[in-house]
Amino acid sequence: MALVGNIRDFSLSDFLSLVDRGYKTGALHLSHNDQMARLYFEKGKLLLAARRPEDEKPELLVRLGVLNADQVAQACRLLAERGNGLTLSQILIDTGLVSADRLQQALMSHTEQSVYGLFAWPEGDFLFEHNQRPAPDAPLAPTPISIDHLIMEGVRRIDEWERIRDRIPSTDLVPRFLAPPGEKLKGMRLAPDEWKVFARINGRDTLAEIAQKTGLSDFDVCRAVYGFLTAGMLELVKRQRVLAAGMPPVEQPRLKKSLVNRIINRIRSM
Amino acid sequence: MQTVKMVISGAVNAGKTEFIKTISEIEVVSTERRATDDTRLIKKETTVAMDFGRIAISDDLVLHLFGTPGQKRFDFMWEILAEGMLGLVILVDSTRPETFRETNRIIDFFVSYRDTPYVIAANKQDRPNAWSPEELRLALRQPPHIKVLPCTATDRESVKNVLLELLYVIQERSED
Ligand SMILES: Nc1nc2c(ncn2[C@@H]2O[C@H](COP(=O)(O)OP(=O)(O)OP(=O)(O)O)[C@@H](O)[C@H]2O)c(=O)[nH]1
Ligand SMILES: [Mg+2]
Repeated sequence: MALVGNIRDFSLSDFLSLVDRGYKTGALHLSHNDQMARLYFEKGKLLLAARRPEDEKPELLVRLGVLNADQVAQACRLLAERGNGLTLSQILIDTGLVSADRLQQALMSHTEQSVYGLFAWPEGDFLFEHNQRPAPDAPLAPTPISIDHLIMEGVRRIDEWERIRDRIPSTDLVPRFLAPPGEKLKGMRLAPDEWKVFARINGRDTLAEIAQKTGLSDFDVCRAVYGFLTAGMLELVKRQRVLAAGMPPVEQPRLKKSLVNRIINRIRSM
Repeated sequence: MQTVKMVISGAVNAGKTEFIKTISEIEVVSTERRATDDTRLIKKETTVAMDFGRIAISDDLVLHLFGTPGQKRFDFMWEILAEGMLGLVILVDSTRPETFRETNRIIDFFVSYRDTPYVIAANKQDRPNAWSPEELRLALRQPPHIKVLPCTATDRESVKNVLLELLYVIQERSED
């Protein structure tokens, strides 16, 4: 079943994060007024982002200055001959028409630029089609692109508190890493101010205290933390809970097992 | 006579009233009013104070089901309804991603200060375009140990299943 919605309500960053955490494979179709975009993912990573249908065609590589028209034609012939399961990128690399690095660099930069433009859309319908794959002759990045830093880039463009408050209702909350943030961090390409915030997160200081210690505004701190949250790196906890580590916050009425079993049996019999 | 209480919460139009109606043994006491504010655009009648349903367990034990009001301006009721609850069902309209953020705020309200057992019910699974429970788990960022269950609030077996799954969570934490 396709996933549908509007990025006004479920933002593109949120969606990318869902694709990332869910290791999703498929195509995300976006439309806003008369503009369109199509993003292909494989196991949570980005293969291709097209802002117009031509971006999914081999000729994109000519426009990007990676190949000339003859080389593209040659590669397409080979692809047609060898066919089954091969992609255009594999053919290009195998035949030495272009190095894997060069191809990766050109397509990665094109793909990223295409996605950045989408963050400016105030709204737009989306539809995610599970397991829809690009055509074999589509110009795909040889190594699928990690989307952590695309998520962060989307978050950088947030300029209103309203969006951030959804997930960060107060600056009295304490950010805490869920796991050592090694691998993710590499892909994120943080800006200097984001590094400052990152370095101050210790599981004890509140957001307000981090703002004070870094000299950054509450908004800048919260926006960076919002990015880390969206990338699934940390959680926010209330200070009381940090102090009473290991203790449940408010005592929950404990019931006798026999009583719970009586309720279970009754509901089962309904 | 001992009473125990469960709370059914979720964003506007998630299906809370429907859920309680489907399982309650008494006619649900509902405070439906003509909707005001944005809610008007979605539906005519909305719950303003609470829904109340009841299931008799035995001669000396009853289960009360309370549904929270969906509109934001009635959220002062939440605190009152949450007092002493045994467990919580968070209903989500799986066809409306625009309510997922609000759902997270509601979860946060109920479980951040209390250690309340809860399950999430991905409601309206009978409708086309419903997000699956697993997709809802990702969208709502719920950890693996929290149950996200398929639900159709109009279907009694489905509602029973959600309540039972919540009771199993409560059972695990109960005393011998
Ligand atoms: N198809 C379908 N419709 C449902 C289901 N559950 C509820 N509905 C419909 O969704 C609408 C909203 O249901 P309610 O039970 O009024 O929702 P609520 O959460 O009590 O709404 P508020 O009190 O306004 O917050 C009604 O038209 C229900 O008939 C379901 O599982 N499937
Ligand atoms: Mg209602």
